Amino acid sequence: MKRPIPLILTISLLILIVSLLVAETLTVKVQSTSLRGTPKFYAPAVQSLSAGDKVEKISDQGGWIQVRTSGGAVGWVHSSAVYVPKFDLLASGTGLKTQASADEVALAGKGFNKQVEESYRAKHKDVSFAWVDKMLQIKIASAQVEEFMKKGKLGEFGGGQ
Amino acid sequence: MRRLKRMDLVPSAFLAFVLLASCAAVQSGADILAGTGQISASDRQSILKTSKAVSATFSQITEEQEYYIGRSVAALILAQYAAYDNPALNNYINTLGQAVVYSSDRPEIYAGYHFLVLDTDEVNAMSAPGGFIFISKGLIRRCKNEEMLASILAHEVGHVCSKHGLQAIKKSRLVDAFRVIGTEAARRYGSEELAQLTTAFEGALGDVFETLVVRGYDRKYEFEADELAVKFDAAVGYSPNGLTDFLQTMIGDSTTASGKGWFKTHPSAEQRMDKAKSRIAGLSSVPEEAPVRTKRFEQSVAALK
Repeated sequence: MKRPIPLILTISLLILIVSLLVAETLTVKVQSTSLRGTPKFYAPAVQSLSAGDKVEKISDQGGWIQVRTSGGAVGWVHSSAVYVPKFDLLASGTGLKTQASADEVALAGKGFNKQVEESYRAKHKDVSFAWVDKMLQIKIASAQVEEFMKKGKLGEFGGGQ
Repeated sequence: MRRLKRMDLVPSAFLAFVLLASCAAVQSGADILAGTGQISASDRQSILKTSKAVSATFSQITEEQEYYIGRSVAALILAQYAAYDNPALNNYINTLGQAVVYSSDRPEIYAGYHFLVLDTDEVNAMSAPGGFIFISKGLIRRCKNEEMLASILAHEVGHVCSKHGLQAIKKSRLVDAFRVIGTEAARRYGSEELAQLTTAFEGALGDVFETLVVRGYDRKYEFEADELAVKFDAAVGYSPNGLTDFLQTMIGDSTTASGKGWFKTHPSAEQRMDKAKSRIAGLSSVPEEAPVRTKRFEQSVAALK
């Protein structure tokens, strides 16, 4: 019963080597986000990024990824803002997840999109989107959140972990 | 015989590996066959469409599609409940909400998180997919400090993080949608495809709305959202006792026992409180309530009291 172990080890090692060799290109999946100077939401923005923008991973730290843009700018994005490709098919479940991420890139702008919403709204004229759009206009600057946390002794200014 | 078994393990292991690769394997297999000319490009396309339709799950709904589903679910919620048009209060709720979001598992979503107060005395809070989070005047009135309010918002953010709303969508809607979408379809659809997608969209909205507003989530999702609320509270620095203190106000309250909203759509407050308490007991350190936060909470919600 010893034989399968070296086989699995060989495959794992191979996958590890391949994943290390392939430069990781990440794609921005949120409408817009900021490339930040330090790994914090209220860190000053280096530049803004939009859905579909591609960045190269340099390193990562606690949910944040240090990246380089095609223009050469370096900064941090949160991992939830980008598709992170993983060559990790052996880990159960992750194979499917990886595929789902690949689909997300391929499906950008497709499926339930603006056109489908317009079609739905044409059929349901009684459903108003006025307050939905007003909600989206409520934007809280990260500096305001920082001030709120500072005054409320939250996060790094108080008892946050 | 023993030797033969060992030999069998190699192809079995390979098969297991391929099965794990699942969809990816179908795609690469179809690509290889198409590349060698053994199947046509359209055959390849239909193999991929079928494979995707059969394996359709909520996790394949893209961020952008989640946003569009959420917009319409939010519109349906706002057809049922009026918005409370108080910019100062909504600003406070949104700032507090963002502080929680920053410490959550999924801080960045397609168009960000947005919070809105609903003009109703009903004690309720709801979150549509895509980060549209609603909290009623009645619920805010019941909160005695910022910790309680933060815990309710953290619970709702938790539902969005774990895509609980999207999980209410019946598989058949996704199968129908994926059948139309394919992988290389145009971004704008012809009338027939658009009609099919719109029908699937309407069905999906109905599924989510029914769960959020009428029927309520499965108990396991409510417990999971409470668990996340404790986690996010502790991460941002709020006392997670805000959640148990809020649940305590619900116990034995006859006006809410048969009530609507948060009370109707959740497991019993006692059960939730027990689970939350044991979760809090497992934290390495528990942040304490701060008077400075309670003071600003009282000032911010004064208009409602």
